[in-house]
Amino acid sequence: MRLAALAAVSAAVAPVFAAAPATRLAPVPKVEGVYFSGTWEDPNPQEVLRAPGATVQRTPTPPAPFNDKAKAEMAERRAKQQQTKATELTGGAACIPGGFPGMMGPVFPLEVLQSPGQVTIIAEAFSQIRRIYLNEKQIAFEDAEPLFWGHSVGHWEGNTLLVNTIGLKDNIRIGGGPHSDKLQIDERITVTSPDTWEDQITVTDPQYLTGPWTWTHKYVRRKDYKINEYVCEDNRLYIDPATGQQKLRLGE
Amino acid sequence: MQSRGSSGRAAVLAMAALTGITWAGAVSAHHSFAMFDNEHQVKVTGTVTRFDWTNPHIYLFVTGGEAGKDAKPMTIEGASPGILNRIGWKFNMVKTGDQITMVIAPLRSGEPGGLLKEIKLPDGRVFNNGGFAGPSQISLKDEK
Repeated sequence: MRLAALAAVSAAVAPVFAAAPATRLAPVPKVEGVYFSGTWEDPNPQEVLRAPGATVQRTPTPPAPFNDKAKAEMAERRAKQQQTKATELTGGAACIPGGFPGMMGPVFPLEVLQSPGQVTIIAEAFSQIRRIYLNEKQIAFEDAEPLFWGHSVGHWEGNTLLVNTIGLKDNIRIGGGPHSDKLQIDERITVTSPDTWEDQITVTDPQYLTGPWTWTHKYVRRKDYKINEYVCEDNRLYIDPATGQQKLRLGE
Repeated sequence: MQSRGSSGRAAVLAMAALTGITWAGAVSAHHSFAMFDNEHQVKVTGTVTRFDWTNPHIYLFVTGGEAGKDAKPMTIEGASPGILNRIGWKFNMVKTGDQITMVIAPLRSGEPGGLLKEIKLPDGRVFNNGGFAGPSQISLKDEK
């Protein structure tokens, strides 16, 4: 009975669909640049994650060329932290993502997605996403709302994607130091083979650095790896009001 | 008891060295392990009452304790699902009622809990807790 009714409805509806004019949809536009979509990992963390106590050789990051103003502010901040009892969690302990450029130092894997006019980089840790808009003019400093991953524009030159980023939140402390609203981060993302790329990152800030600060992250392809989701849903850390120290909430 | 500044910083530095995290790079670790006593790891046996497979950390709740001591409810912290998935763990491999053995770095506070180093399941399989947690002082693999 019910099947018969369904058949009757289908028969009545089918001609309506058939009669609708065919909508011509566009094919996916061509994506520019060289191919580096997929999941990636620093060549070393796999070993670090697997083998407790493993020591890892990574390209060292040169010390930040902080100027005297930066050093003075950092010293003042440190002194203040030592004198005052912490009352709340901050940063990663509070489940706040590290932002850019920290997310490019991948202890966990990254995923790269290339679509027309855009390169998207997703970090597994804290499900961080940054979007690099291709062939767009960078906005003015005064228009750059401070964000965790900033405002990124880029363009391809051969095998290299040149990216410029401005507009980071004050709590994104690169190398533990302050930055101004004139901070710029330039990246040379070079695809060095089908299964490797590297990101040369250069930070400049006329107000807090004496010169450019450059380091490079390297990545290898993880062919069959699927990015894990990461929602910080069960943070059991809290600050003990008596001591100002981090404690773990115990019990079910 | 060390002051907050020195013990906290030492732990963060130790963790940075352990994980290869650079100061300019990722600060994706959730927290320092200063609250756990890595130098005095203990073996704990107990019955699982709950298993939370969650970020930023997984948690094992057991009623148990060290051999010869009273059993009590304990909260054991593990790494994150993403790390553990990659070293062979599975979201449902621990079940309520399982009798398990663990090596943990106990909480310095003396409260019943700690950081997992190794776990032995009822079927005899042994897993570590990933690289961040650091090595176990006791190996459960060699036990019969």
